[in-house]
Amino acid sequence: MRIDHLSKFQDDPVSHLMDLENREVSVAALYDPDLYELEMERIFAKAWLLLGHDSEIPKVGDYVVRLMGEDQVIVARAADNQVHVSLNVCPHRAMHVCIADSGNTRVHKCIYHGWAFRPDGSFIGAPIEKEKMHGEIKSKEQLGLKQARVATLGGLVFATFNHDGPSLDDWLGEMKFYYEMLFCRTDNGLEVLGPPQRLTIDANWKTAGEQSACDGFHTLTLHGSLLEGGAMAGEENTEHESAPAMYGVNVSGNGHSLRCIPADTSWAMMAGKTHPGMTDDERLEMMPPPGITRELLPQVRRNLTAEQLHVFAKAPPVVGGMFPNVNILFVYAPLRDGTLGSALVLHSINPKGVDKFEWVTYFFTEKDASPEVKHMMRAAAAQLTGTSGIIEQDDSDTWPHMSEASRGFMGRTETLKYQAILGENRPADWPNKARVYSGFSKDDAQWNWWLAYHELMTSKA
Amino acid sequence: MSISTEMKPATTSSTLTEVTYGSPVYNQIMTWMIREARLLDHRQLDEWQTYLAEDLIYKVPVRLTRRVQGFDTEFSDVGHMDDDYGSMTARVQRLTGTKSAWAEDPASRVRRFVTNVSVWETDIPGEYKVSSYLLLTRNRADARDYKQLSAERNDRLRWNGERYLLAHRIVLIDQVVLGMPNLAIFL
Ligand code: FES
Ligand SMILES: [Fe+2]
Repeated sequence: MRIDHLSKFQDDPVSHLMDLENREVSVAALYDPDLYELEMERIFAKAWLLLGHDSEIPKVGDYVVRLMGEDQVIVARAADNQVHVSLNVCPHRAMHVCIADSGNTRVHKCIYHGWAFRPDGSFIGAPIEKEKMHGEIKSKEQLGLKQARVATLGGLVFATFNHDGPSLDDWLGEMKFYYEMLFCRTDNGLEVLGPPQRLTIDANWKTAGEQSACDGFHTLTLHGSLLEGGAMAGEENTEHESAPAMYGVNVSGNGHSLRCIPADTSWAMMAGKTHPGMTDDERLEMMPPPGITRELLPQVRRNLTAEQLHVFAKAPPVVGGMFPNVNILFVYAPLRDGTLGSALVLHSINPKGVDKFEWVTYFFTEKDASPEVKHMMRAAAAQLTGTSGIIEQDDSDTWPHMSEASRGFMGRTETLKYQAILGENRPADWPNKARVYSGFSKDDAQWNWWLAYHELMTSKA
Repeated sequence: MSISTEMKPATTSSTLTEVTYGSPVYNQIMTWMIREARLLDHRQLDEWQTYLAEDLIYKVPVRLTRRVQGFDTEFSDVGHMDDDYGSMTARVQRLTGTKSAWAEDPASRVRRFVTNVSVWETDIPGEYKVSSYLLLTRNRADARDYKQLSAERNDRLRWNGERYLLAHRIVLIDQVVLGMPNLAIFL
């Protein structure tokens, strides 16, 4: 971008890329390096971003290094027992202060000249105190690591560099009602099964970002091998008519979204039988939602509200995302011994330049699940999702094609289309929370993702 | 996090008896390794499957960058792959028996270069611990570059009277952040 074009671009970066009336986005949005820079500023420095889970850093001094946009941050438990998120950039001369992925220390000492910081990011001092090697121009209070705002939901750690923006609660809005069913449903909550998988995908981050907003449609074809194998209950030659998991309730708000799949559908798919006319309680007992075992149901009953329990029993949320860069899969995993396992998986999509992103995969379990269940879930998650997952290996092979297509001059004149519209329609017994789209999974929630993108990209400062 | 011995790089200080380079057993195992790599490179996955023992454990642990004191504890319990015989045969079935395993359709062009093979006897007669280095190049579609992966594989091979079977494979990858977008291939 030439300098004289820059201010015009900043005033109006997306109107030439998004056709709001016709629900189309220019393929150039996957290609434009100036747009990418502006996304770092207006989205990744503004949004609440997922950085992990507090079970990764249980003890004072524990830390992990994570990404916010292209910035490394240190997520650490400080002496106050709170989680702090600090930019991993030394205020002295920009060296990374942490050079390992995780560890435990009460003092983060920069290896370049030795400036030292506490886990809460505050500056302790520079070596040779009497020589005042941090100078006398700035006070020690001014020389700490840059701090992000931190908030948690069910132990998931979120942070933002937007100190004046909305709270995490406001950011999630009414979608929090649904996320609580996934993250806040047992007494002791979730825990990670270990450090996340990380890999690089040669594609623009938005290819995975927009898919996370309930692209149910692609499962029929891109994940067709699972249909062929019967895992999504379609007959091969009539798959497009007879894939019941395509029918459900998509919920969406503030760009976030989840797909709720009716328990009756899951039974039909996994157990080959239906049980019409059951009460919520009977449904939960019959086939507890993914990640929940019968032993955990008393906890679920006391942690969720009556309204939440109704949704959870009738059509629990199973896949979806959080704007801008979280992908959620809390799904059943049919096991080879005929029983039903599950996998609880969160991904974050971390941009690494306009045509690369780092795909980070966390595996979860309920803390109170038995060791056997945890073991099963760890294997099931790796076999279904992430690096080698038989679901997601097809996604990670698709997104680079889209970025490659965006490099073509003519390719960039094409659009991404979100014109399959279901429209809001809330079933009579469904809580009045967020936007509700009941029926065949269409483009509504994905378009809402783009509207959230549009809103952030067009709001200056 | 518990670290089993297979999750540490194999070293010469092992207390196990090393099988001499060039001895009949060493040569049999080296031949097996070369054949295995050929089968995988040539996508003869159904035949490769017959190289697997039914009590197979196959893992590719996630790696972390640690300070040097923790160099031999860089691997975690969570895997990029965390498989057994049943899940491996299901993977093979998806890749060979369905029409929409898109991650490998069109197929990657893969070369597996297997070197630095060390073999040790174990407490069980006919069962050997084998460490090998793997350099893997993978090219897809019209990509100009190759995705590469280097690793150390810690295997357990079992002689069943007729042939060796893979009972155990732990693949210690040298990357913390993988450079390829998936492991739709076997290592
Ligand atoms: S750059 Fe960190 S102390 Fe100088
Ligand atoms: Fe997918």
